[in-house]
Amino acid sequence: MRRIVVRRLAQIIPLIFAVIVLNFVLIHLAPGSLFDVMTSEQQVTDPAMLDQLRHTYGVDQPTWLQLAKYIWAVMRLDLGFSYRQNAPVLHVIMEQLPATAILMLAATTIALLVGITAGVLASVKVNTIWDNLISFGAVFFFAAPSFWLGIMMTVLFAVKLGWFPVGGMRTIGADHGAFADALDVMNHLVLPATALGLFYAATYARVMRASMLEVFRLDFVRTARAKGLSSSRVILAHVMRNALLPIVTLLGLQLGTMLGGSVVIEAVFSWPGIGSLLFDSVMSRNFPMVLGVLVLGSLLVAVCNATVDLLYMRLDPRIRVR
Amino acid sequence: MSRFSRREFLMTAAGAALASRFVGSAAAATGPKPGGTLTATWGGFEPQALFVPGGGGSSPYFTSTKVHERLLRLTVGLKFEPVLALDIKPAEDFRSYTIKLRDKVTWHDGKPFTADDVVFCAMDYWKPISAGVSLSALESAEAVDPLTVVLKFKAPVPEFFLKSVLAGKSGLVIPKHIYAGSNIITNPINNTPVGTGPFKVKEWVRGSHVEYLRNDSYWNPGLPYLDRLVIRWWRDPASRSAAFEAGQLDIGTFNPIPIPDIARLTKAGKIVAETKGYSNSAWVATVEFNQRREIFKKREVRQALMHAIDRQFISDTIFFGSARPSTGAVHSSNSIFFTKEVQDYPFDVKKAAALLDAAGYPVKGGSRFKLSLVSAGWFEENVKMGQYVKQAFEDLDITVDLSVPDRATSLKRIYTDYDYDVAISNNSGSIELIPSTTQYYTTDGIVKGAAFRNATGYSNPKLDEIVAKMTVETEEPKRIALAKDFDRLASIEAPILPMVDLEPVTIARTDVRNHSTTADFMGESWAEIWLDR
Repeated sequence: MRRIVVRRLAQIIPLIFAVIVLNFVLIHLAPGSLFDVMTSEQQVTDPAMLDQLRHTYGVDQPTWLQLAKYIWAVMRLDLGFSYRQNAPVLHVIMEQLPATAILMLAATTIALLVGITAGVLASVKVNTIWDNLISFGAVFFFAAPSFWLGIMMTVLFAVKLGWFPVGGMRTIGADHGAFADALDVMNHLVLPATALGLFYAATYARVMRASMLEVFRLDFVRTARAKGLSSSRVILAHVMRNALLPIVTLLGLQLGTMLGGSVVIEAVFSWPGIGSLLFDSVMSRNFPMVLGVLVLGSLLVAVCNATVDLLYMRLDPRIRVR
Repeated sequence: MSRFSRREFLMTAAGAALASRFVGSAAAATGPKPGGTLTATWGGFEPQALFVPGGGGSSPYFTSTKVHERLLRLTVGLKFEPVLALDIKPAEDFRSYTIKLRDKVTWHDGKPFTADDVVFCAMDYWKPISAGVSLSALESAEAVDPLTVVLKFKAPVPEFFLKSVLAGKSGLVIPKHIYAGSNIITNPINNTPVGTGPFKVKEWVRGSHVEYLRNDSYWNPGLPYLDRLVIRWWRDPASRSAAFEAGQLDIGTFNPIPIPDIARLTKAGKIVAETKGYSNSAWVATVEFNQRREIFKKREVRQALMHAIDRQFISDTIFFGSARPSTGAVHSSNSIFFTKEVQDYPFDVKKAAALLDAAGYPVKGGSRFKLSLVSAGWFEENVKMGQYVKQAFEDLDITVDLSVPDRATSLKRIYTDYDYDVAISNNSGSIELIPSTTQYYTTDGIVKGAAFRNATGYSNPKLDEIVAKMTVETEEPKRIALAKDFDRLASIEAPILPMVDLEPVTIARTDVRNHSTTADFMGESWAEIWLDR
C-alpha cells in the first residue's frame, strides 16, 4: 500500500513538469499576449509607458527564459504574480479553488448516487418499463448540454417555483453562524451540482447496468443463490461490489473532465470557482494564472486518481498482488 | 428616517425630485426612502481588480466609481455639476485653471481630503497614467491653500475639454497618503480601494460579487440612500435574465440581458428598460480600411465599399433595433458636437460597383480582388456583422476571407500587427471628441501596439490641423464649428466607416428610483439611487 502511494506521488512530479511545459508552449503559440490585452484595457498609448510595462510584465525577455524562470519558481512553490489580478497567483486561486472543489465533490456524489442506483435498478428490472425509463433518462441527460440543462433548471426551480437561488454560492450579507452558512451553501449548491452531476450519472447508470448484467451471469452468483442467500444480499454484496470496478475506473478518468464541465456550470450559476478564472485567463493570455490553475488542477486530479487506485484494492483484493 | 435632520431631508428630496425628471417616473410624487440593498450587475464580466489605475475597461470602472469620486460630473442634460470640486475657473488666457475644492470631505480611512490629493492625482496619476494624451499640455499643479489647486498649462486649454477630462473615466481622485511613493498600478490597495465616495468596499468575493456598505461619514449628509450595494457578475446573459425574473437582481447596466428578452421582461410592468445614461461613453461599430494596402490608398475604393453596406439592415436585424445607422464620426447622442452635414453613403450596390469599376478594379475571372476581413470577436454582434459584411462584399464580386478571432488575437491583429485589410471593431467615445474620437483619424493617433487608436494608418495634414486648432480653441462656438469641419472631412475621406451607433440599455425594476440621471451613469457613484419598497 505504502509503496503504491509513494510511487504515485513520484509520478506526479514529471506530470506537473509536462503540464507546465506543454501549456506554456501552447499559450505562447496562441496569437495575442497578456501585454496586448492589458495595454488595450488600460488604454496606454505612450511609447515610454508601453516599454515600461513590457519590462514590468517580463514580456521583453526571451520565451525560454520566461519558462525557465517559471519552472524554477514552481519548484519553490511560487506560482508567480498576476498583473491582471494585481495579486499573487496562488492567492487568487486559493480564494476560488474551494468553491470548485465543493461543486465537484457534490456533483460526483450526486453522479455516483443517482447513477449507481439507476444502474442497479435497471439491471435488476431488466427489460421492464423501469429499465426503459432509466435508459431513456440516461440518454437524455447524456445528450443534453449541461449549460442548457442548467438554464432550464434555473427557469423551472428558481424562476417559476422559487425553490432555489438563481446563482451565487451564499446569500450575500447574511451572517448567521457556521451551521446556517453550511445550509445556505448547500441550498445554493443543489442546482449547479445536479446540473453538472446528471451528465455523469447518465454514464454511470449505463455502465453500471451493463456491468451488473455481466456479473449476474457468473458462476459465483449462481452459487450464492444456490446456498440460499436472499436476493438483496446477492445483489448488494456479491454482484454490486464486483460490478463497481468499471465505475471506479470511469470516476478516475472523469475527474479531469469534470473540471472542464464546471467551467460552463460556473458561468451559468455564477458559482465563484476557478472555472471562470481559467476561462478569463486564457482569453487574456494571462499565462501565470492559466499555468497556476492547471498545475493545481493536475495536482488535484493526480491525487484523486491515486485515491481511486487505492479504492480498487479495497474493492478487488486481487489487484494488490499484481 | 432617523439618519436625517428634517432640513437635510427636504434638501435631498428636492435634489432627487429634480433629478427624477429625467427618469420620468412617479418618483417625484414621493420623497426618497433611505435604506435597503440594491443588487446590480452589468453586461460583462468580473473586473480584474476593483480599481485599475490605467482604466481597465468598463468593469473596473463600474466597481471603482462607487468608491472613487471625481471633481465634476456630467448630467444627461450635458451640464457639469460639482462633486469634489465646487468651482473650476479658467484664467483669462485659459492657460491656468483654479479649482476650489469641497470642504469637510474625508477619505474612507478618516483622513481629510485636501488640495494635496488633487495635486498628487494631477501630476502622479492623471498625467502619467490615466489621461496622458488629454493632459499633455499640463505643466504643473500647485496647492494654493488646503482647498484650492491651480493647474498650469503650456497652451490654452478649452474649458469644456478640461472639465470633460476631470468628469471623465480618467479623472478619478485617489488618496495621496495611500499611493504616494508606491507603484500606483500594482499597489495591492487597488483590490480594496479607499476613496471619498458614498460606498465603502466591505468584501470582494472573486468570481461572485463585491459588497459595499454605506459610508456614514459621506460629505453629503443624507446620502447615499442605500444601506448596501452589491454588484454581482454572471458570465451568461440568459442567467441574468433569469435572475431579474426571479427578483434577485434590481438593476443591470450596459445590455445585461439578451436583446430579445427585453420585451418579455418589461411586459409585466415590473421591469423597465432605459437607454439614457450612456451619451458620455457612446459605443459605435466601425469598419476600418487599412491604408497600408495599396488598394485602400484610393479614396474611391473606400467610398465604394461604404455604399456596399446596408447599415439599416445591421441596426434592424443584428441589433434588433437597438442601434441606429451612424451619421459621421460623431455619435448621434452627442448633442453638442453632432452634425448631419456630412457625406452620406446610402446603401447602393450598383453605385458601389460602378465606383470600383471606375477606380480600376473591374470583375476579372469572377472576382475584383481578395480581402482579409477581421471582425473583432469581443461582442457577439461582431460575429454576425462579420458574416453580413462578407456577404455584402461578395455581392460586389470581392473575394472575402473572414476571420473572427478572440479578444487577444483581435487586438494583436488589428492594433499591433496591422494584419488585416478590413477590420470590424468597436469604440466608445466621450462627448468631448479629443482624443477619444479624433485619435482614430489623426496622425498622432498612429501608435503601433496601442489599441483603440488609428489602426488604419490614415494620415492627412489638413485633418490634423483642424484637430490641432480644436485642441487650443477656447471659444465654444468656434470649437463646435471645427468639430463639424472634422466630421465632414472624415466622412469624405472615409478611412473608417462608422456603421451603427449602439444604444446600450439599462434594465431595472420599477421600484429602483432615480437612476440613469448622468451622461455616464454606469460610472457614477449611485449615491442618489433609492428603493421604493
